[in-house]
Amino acid sequence: MSEPVSRWSAAETIGKGVRAAPALRIGFVTTLFLALMGAAGRVVTPILVQQAIDRGLSPSGVSVDTVVRLGIIAFFVIVLATWAQRTAVYRLGRRSEEALYGLRVRLFEHIHRLSIADHSEERKGALVARVTSDVETLAQFFQWGGLAWLLDGTLMLLVAGVMLAYDWVLALVAFVVAAPLAFVLQRVQRHLVKAYDASREKNAAVMTQISEVVAGAETLRAYRAGPRYARRVKGTSHERSKSFIRAGTIGAFLFPSGEVFGVFTVSAVVVSGLLRGPDSGLTAGAMVGFLFLTYRFLEPIAEFTEVLDQTQTAVAGMRRVLGVLEIPIGPPEPEVPMRLPEGGLAVTVDRVDFSYRSRGDVDEPPVLVDVNVHIPAGQQVAVVGETGSGKTTLGRLVARLADPVAGSVLIGGVPLTRVSNGDLRSRLTVVPQEPFLFEGTIAANLLFARPNLQRADLVKAVEVLDLGDWLDTLPDGLDTEVGERGAQMSAGERQLVALIRASLVDPDVLVLDEATSSVDALTEVRLARALERLASGRTTIAIAHRLSTAARADRVLVLDHGRLVEDGTHTELVQRGGTYARMYDAWVTATSAG
Amino acid sequence: MVGETEQQPVAGANRLVQAFRLVRALLRHQKRTFFIAVAGAAVFAACTVGSAIVVRHIIDDLIEPRFKEGEVAPSTVAAVLGLLILLGFVRAAGVVVRRTWAGRTTWGVTERLSAEVIDRLVEQPAPWHRKQTTGDLITRAGVDAEAATAVLSPLPFASGVVVLVFLSSVWLLVTDIPLGLAAVCVFPLLIALNVGYQRRVDRYYNTAQDELGRLSSAVHESFEGVAVVKSFGAEHRETERLSLIAGRLREARLGAVRLRSIFEALLDGIPNVVNIALLVGGAFRVRSGDMTVGELTSFIYLFTLLVFPLRLIGFTLSELPHSLAGWTRIRSLLDQPVEPDPVLTLQRGGDNAVHVRDLHYSHDGEREVLTGVTAEIDAGRTVAVVGATGSGKTTLLHLIAGLVPPDRGSVTVPESGAEIVFQEAFLLAGTVRDNITLGADVPGDAVELALQVAEADFVHQLPQGLDTEIGERGVGLSGGQRQRLALTRALVRRPAVLLLDDTTSALDPATEAKVIANLKAALTSTTVVAVASRPSTIALADDVLYLVDGEVVAHGLHDELMADVPAYRQLIEAFEHDRAALDAELRGDDA
Repeated sequence: MSEPVSRWSAAETIGKGVRAAPALRIGFVTTLFLALMGAAGRVVTPILVQQAIDRGLSPSGVSVDTVVRLGIIAFFVIVLATWAQRTAVYRLGRRSEEALYGLRVRLFEHIHRLSIADHSEERKGALVARVTSDVETLAQFFQWGGLAWLLDGTLMLLVAGVMLAYDWVLALVAFVVAAPLAFVLQRVQRHLVKAYDASREKNAAVMTQISEVVAGAETLRAYRAGPRYARRVKGTSHERSKSFIRAGTIGAFLFPSGEVFGVFTVSAVVVSGLLRGPDSGLTAGAMVGFLFLTYRFLEPIAEFTEVLDQTQTAVAGMRRVLGVLEIPIGPPEPEVPMRLPEGGLAVTVDRVDFSYRSRGDVDEPPVLVDVNVHIPAGQQVAVVGETGSGKTTLGRLVARLADPVAGSVLIGGVPLTRVSNGDLRSRLTVVPQEPFLFEGTIAANLLFARPNLQRADLVKAVEVLDLGDWLDTLPDGLDTEVGERGAQMSAGERQLVALIRASLVDPDVLVLDEATSSVDALTEVRLARALERLASGRTTIAIAHRLSTAARADRVLVLDHGRLVEDGTHTELVQRGGTYARMYDAWVTATSAG
Repeated sequence: MVGETEQQPVAGANRLVQAFRLVRALLRHQKRTFFIAVAGAAVFAACTVGSAIVVRHIIDDLIEPRFKEGEVAPSTVAAVLGLLILLGFVRAAGVVVRRTWAGRTTWGVTERLSAEVIDRLVEQPAPWHRKQTTGDLITRAGVDAEAATAVLSPLPFASGVVVLVFLSSVWLLVTDIPLGLAAVCVFPLLIALNVGYQRRVDRYYNTAQDELGRLSSAVHESFEGVAVVKSFGAEHRETERLSLIAGRLREARLGAVRLRSIFEALLDGIPNVVNIALLVGGAFRVRSGDMTVGELTSFIYLFTLLVFPLRLIGFTLSELPHSLAGWTRIRSLLDQPVEPDPVLTLQRGGDNAVHVRDLHYSHDGEREVLTGVTAEIDAGRTVAVVGATGSGKTTLLHLIAGLVPPDRGSVTVPESGAEIVFQEAFLLAGTVRDNITLGADVPGDAVELALQVAEADFVHQLPQGLDTEIGERGVGLSGGQRQRLALTRALVRRPAVLLLDDTTSALDPATEAKVIANLKAALTSTTVVAVASRPSTIALADDVLYLVDGEVVAHGLHDELMADVPAYRQLIEAFEHDRAALDAELRGDDA
């Protein structure tokens, strides 16, 4: 993701995070105050014990009345503190859930608006991870770590305050003896984090290997390699066990080290208290109360070290999330849009360069270099070239799924950067190479183009493209489920749906990225028929993989390594004996016998 | 979603019986480590009660004398504090032992379960795998094994808590019966609170987990289809759709937060109130001389110590349904009998010929894919299997390879069997070399030779040559490169019979022609049966086996079939049709 983000400090990240999710700030001071009130409930018992011992259970005789009176006061304090704590926990939880929801919505919107260049295959996974697992890291933090900061943080502050108030010498003794614990815990914690990271990696390796054994079952069977690969998985699984056991063993020392420090701290407090004796103003009750406070003080320390680590993870997650929001959104909307002219639209590509942004700092090699074309309204153009020649990218730039790095694309004489998104999408449509269908029915997928169309409109569109006979072969017609990513349909059928979907927009410019996958003969015929009807009367740019498509076009553009090398009709180009002629010869050889 | 099926409410007693059976089954091979962990937990419990007793002595024997009588003997101080420190160490050791051995138990069992599932997965032949879904099997071997054993990690501690509650009750009652009774009565209340909370909050957490799963797949879908979203200007609509799911996730989480805030507060509040009651009640007992201040204080101290361990019981119970569900799913897989290996249905012949006699095959006994195929393929011949989509070409190859058993009829292959190259080249994570040998002992020059024949020299241009990592985390390969590696994989085995299932479809025509010419030159004695669709490929075969709807319609030379079998000619012409029609069109244009 964008580089400057990774240099943000934790404080900067948190600051920007709060700005990105303002719900976090609302009423935070009140929540903090309530948490402090709630923590008061936890020091009631030690104070009560002290008061009772010194005032009610003194050697001069037991005053039950005093203890009862103290008990009643303590009871009300606890009721109040319990309410305050509940409210503080609830407020923090609600605000953080609202904040994360808001953050997710912002991310959805932002990511959908990113240029297609930012949606490259290798980044797709990362973008999904930002809105799912990274935001989840934050959610986990607020549920545990954030809560611990709120409750344990206030508790430790309060307990330390009360300890100092009772007897500052004893308090200092307790702090000094307990201090190394934080250091020890942090070291153990660091080892623990590393050990768990290693374990998680092993776990991922086991999962990958399992899925290979399952997905490759037939291959492993055919090559009699099953047992060997099973041994490999079992070996990795054994390493995973060892790794988790190791991490568990390190973790096993975390809590007990608090225990050991605890007994030393208590012993030190007792010894110092006994040495100071009643002459220093210390009472038996205060001593006992102090013991309780010492335990209370030590309790959250172990948890805190875990929380610190979780906080780091959360900050890292937040940094990545903010990194996405820092990426400038895709082709930006024009400030002062110009309307596209009525009627047919010509397409002009003017000195266009393009390159995809890569994962690191270094830009990828250029995909398009100085491409110039003018396509008059209504012309049918085919763009051909080898894989990686830049023909798909050219289609994307015309459709403004990304903006060129240099140069400009004009439609109907208007630069695309001046056309509003709504205007453009109602006049230009893309049929992508591997048409993407959403899970649901065919009708739902068609309505994706125009949500407020009626069913009759869909039926009509099917008829216009002469696909009624195809629809009749489907079990539920328009209500046939297409499956996840359209998997229930054949590649050819997905293309048919995509063509109908595109036709519903009734565009003036059609960008058509032809599919590479082969389809059966009947679907091929239907596709060709539907395509011809869809394209007629519209400016069409077909990114052609089949040379038959190119040969039928009014005009052929040949791209080679991002440069436009040939431009002419099929016949002209074949006669010229250049790149296109060579491609055509190879194709003729492949499709003929002998 | 997994979570929805897991939360089947089971009647209380039945649930305990199931839980007991589950734990017994899981621990069959790990009893020793488990009991060490439980012993550690018991030591911890005993020391916890012990530490309360020491607190009493600190107050009664050290603080009271010093502050009320003025003196305390240093030897007493040393003895009491020595005991405190000793108990602290033993208690800590108990925790270390418990946690370490609990981890060993859990992972020991998980490893064993996973191994059983993996072994079963590779033992089951192809027909069994075709009846399963990939995702389901992966879940069982990975996630379910972990889920099944998840209940084991908190179990030793939970057992320790039971010991702790028992010992504490005994000590409280021994110290002071009325006050002890009052305190002991609170334990069931706290346990019920924990269990009740856990059960109710889990409902929200499971809903949240389901919604998170839905959100993930919706986000995946939406981002993957981003080109469609953009080209129809549907960015805003998609954001709304996803926000709806994110909203439901937030609601589920909020439900959990609401419950949790009450629970956490009560869990702090109730023991505090009990402490006050103990103190007030204790004042009466101290006045009547039945109790010392130290005893009273240690009562309160012990009570405070118990709050956290009691949470564990609720936590353990909440793991139970997940573990039961995981265990049930694993059992249902392991309980299926291993299906017979279809390779055993192959008959073995003397030379490299392949004989197929009256072969019938159907999917699930319903639709017949092959309806009596008979073919004699002589040793060393190259035969192209040609037919329309669904004519049974791939199935025929799978039968000859012994991947699936015929319903009827027989296949005879040479002693050494046949090697098949699949339509989709499946590569495993690992080096190029691993992917070629798949663990077989293959000499280096054999690999080189096979690479040349398969036109797969490109591997030498990879960063580390044959040792380059490919697959999920390694170098990505194009479809054509994958196909050529898969072909190499078969060739290094010097097969007597080579079965090719349209394995050159992703190659460009020129490379394909080269590969086929190489194969013909290198494999003089090998019998090749190849599913082919490009006319240029078909023309290179010796013979053509023409299939229509699972039957052999013709077997002979390509030219003969073109002349004598009209349907075959039409099929081949359909492949060429596109170009032929175009030629006609263009000629028309020129004229």
